[in-house]
Amino acid sequence: MNVKRIKPLAVLGLTTLVTTGVLAETSAPFVPEDGRIGYVMTNLFWAVYQTPDGKEECPQGYNDGPREQFAKLFPNHEQMTVEETQLKQEIETWHPTTEPDPLPFYDVEGPLSWGLNLDGEVGPNDFTHPDGTEGIDNEVYRAVGCIIGFRGPDGVEVIFQDKAITDRRYNRMMIELGDVDDLANDDHVTISIYRGLDTLLTDATGLKAMPGGSQRIDTHWGAGLVRHTEGKIVDSVLTTEPVADMVMPWMNLGVPTIQIFRDARFQLELTPTSANGLLAGYADVESYYKQLIRNDSTHHLSNGQISGVSLYKALSRLADAYPDPETGAKTAISTALDVKMTQVYIVHPPGEAEGADPVTR
Amino acid sequence: MKSWHSAALSFVVNACAVALLCSPALAEYEATSSALESYMNVPMPPGFSVVNNELEGPVFTNAEGRTLYSWPLHQQRNGYSGESPGTPACYDEVLTVTAGLMSPYPPGIKLPDLDTRPSCTELWPPVYADDNAESVGLWTIVPRRDGTKQWAYDEQPLYTSVRDSKPGDVLGGTTRRYGGDSPANRVPIGPPPNIPPGFAVRTTTNGRILTTDKNYSVYAFDQDTAESSACYGECTRNRIPVIAPELARSKGEWSILERSPGVRQWVFRGKPLYTYALDQQSWSLEGSDAAGWSNVYTQLAPPSPASFTVQKTLAGNVLADARGMTIYTYVCGDDSADQLACDHPDDTQVYRLAMCGGGDPARCQEFWPYVQAGDNETGENSAWRIVSIDPETGRFAAPEQAGALNVWSYRDRPVYTYGKDQKPGDVNGAGTGEWRGQRNGLKAIWLRDDYMRGTL
Repeated sequence: MNVKRIKPLAVLGLTTLVTTGVLAETSAPFVPEDGRIGYVMTNLFWAVYQTPDGKEECPQGYNDGPREQFAKLFPNHEQMTVEETQLKQEIETWHPTTEPDPLPFYDVEGPLSWGLNLDGEVGPNDFTHPDGTEGIDNEVYRAVGCIIGFRGPDGVEVIFQDKAITDRRYNRMMIELGDVDDLANDDHVTISIYRGLDTLLTDATGLKAMPGGSQRIDTHWGAGLVRHTEGKIVDSVLTTEPVADMVMPWMNLGVPTIQIFRDARFQLELTPTSANGLLAGYADVESYYKQLIRNDSTHHLSNGQISGVSLYKALSRLADAYPDPETGAKTAISTALDVKMTQVYIVHPPGEAEGADPVTR
Repeated sequence: MKSWHSAALSFVVNACAVALLCSPALAEYEATSSALESYMNVPMPPGFSVVNNELEGPVFTNAEGRTLYSWPLHQQRNGYSGESPGTPACYDEVLTVTAGLMSPYPPGIKLPDLDTRPSCTELWPPVYADDNAESVGLWTIVPRRDGTKQWAYDEQPLYTSVRDSKPGDVLGGTTRRYGGDSPANRVPIGPPPNIPPGFAVRTTTNGRILTTDKNYSVYAFDQDTAESSACYGECTRNRIPVIAPELARSKGEWSILERSPGVRQWVFRGKPLYTYALDQQSWSLEGSDAAGWSNVYTQLAPPSPASFTVQKTLAGNVLADARGMTIYTYVCGDDSADQLACDHPDDTQVYRLAMCGGGDPARCQEFWPYVQAGDNETGENSAWRIVSIDPETGRFAAPEQAGALNVWSYRDRPVYTYGKDQKPGDVNGAGTGEWRGQRNGLKAIWLRDDYMRGTL
């Protein structure tokens, strides 16, 4: 890509474009200044395909959580000890096993799911996208889709995990596209993944992130989060090449935890002010589970009828990638997450050379 | 890995890494590291006094030198625990069932180790008042239900702790932050710090941090003196002088610099004070990253063992062992109405063994091994000491007991690493356990974090 060639709109700042309404009036390609445009993540949550009453995907109903399971397992708890009841359940939670679940657990049974075809194949366990695309890999959905806490719009995880993306600077992930000639169609762009340092620019309510803010790159604590990949834009949809191991900091209720995605790739619909779509890949099962239970106590999980004990068994059972070289057990599980980003000016460290990596230089 | 010889120097270390200008700041800081927090002289009844503890600052003690604690009312998920002002709730009764204060578990479940479970007053002896005792200032006398009288401070009944074995010990509780889903903890009490209006002091892992009363960190610049500031012009874009009111006067460790006509800046121990405009959270340490700038403490925490290190993580700096593996403390309070602690080797070990190894001591040592002390290690202080532990029981070992381990303890509780941390900087064990590690769980020892106030 030659970012120095003449681009009629490149000399105009994005804010100017937005505020003057040029974007709405022109059919000329949008070329970000210096061929670079940044987006900061404002929403992120596991993609869950839902029908209105859930009957299609969860014909057996929704799963029990810790409160319901406790009542079933220990109906005479007042004749029992803390070790025999509460601590027994906490031990199961913190030292989970892949032994068969003694209580019923309902996987998603429907044929449809959001997500991407991660392995390029159409297999018997794959879902079909609602648009008819076959081969969708999303086993996390199969595990969590019949758990109320993961279903929108008011599941406890939907609320807490997604809100944390906006509220917590620890989670302030962003992408920067480079070598962009045309935000609608470009056969090669670069993508850098950073963590930002700053709070989000919001509207007056403080709830809605707005484009036009700025974010300094976290080169201190977040140096290990930097990743680079490439991609292409077709009809305003960015599709990236997979990132081998993407680490997503995701602090929900005050515990600094991470998700690890293998072969992570974005599919985002781009505008000059937003980038919305999917983040898909294979989630490390152990990291997935620990990120959940370290942030959400059994109390919080109970509010969403999420049994950590049962969910771990389901995730392990449904894991479909990266077998352990010694045991053969799959260590990662296919997934897709709904992601929303808003445009941001990414502030590189002072003195950074053109094109240099801000972290490793 | 950096050698760790003072628990309060993390910000200086950070600055060194950035600017390679650490030597003057480090030397200056070490020179002042022995300073203790000054406190307000408040009227006290006969027999009580004030002792300065390295971790907690000034605390009240009784005639035997034992630290005094209160048990403030604390909201839990399903009700309150602790004591309402003026109303003792800690008595000589052995409670037998859970209170159900913490969702989702119901009340009425039998508590563990009932044959050895202590009553509340066995662990927290009340501070009794003589029949002829009289109230003084905030010190008052409250009746107990058996007709005896108990001292109270600011209306909270007072106790000592059996965990304190010698004068100056503050091992029964801490003034560090607790809240949310923590147990209703006992808190050491003391006189207010001797600071002007507009400031506050808070206990952290690094020491007693000085902030504004809005909890903004205050900073000092090593090129400043009591009589002159080196921060003018561009410097003041982000470094905001802490302005003293017109009527403020110098007193003790506090003085005033008139940095320009009519603009008076507070000075503490010879250094003008600033806030940092780019701080993103209360009690921040971010402003000390720039060369020459440092947070201000009324007193520093005692140094951690010489073999320990500081490791960088995604969220900040943690304390780590000599190999660089993150160090964790175990925190526990039960769900009885007494809210008895269960994190000390003399407490029931049922909760800890459940969490660290599913009830199996061998698995505990695999997943959460003790931080063992080297044969020649020393350096004990009020925070850190080497204790002998029976790893099978988790309790203090008898003298010369076979199989006992010499391990480091923080506030008399053993510390651990996590078997699933694979490399320096991993904090995979943080937040393990019930209520995100706040009760019956494990927490990393944060020395610096920019995200969740982990140092508090």
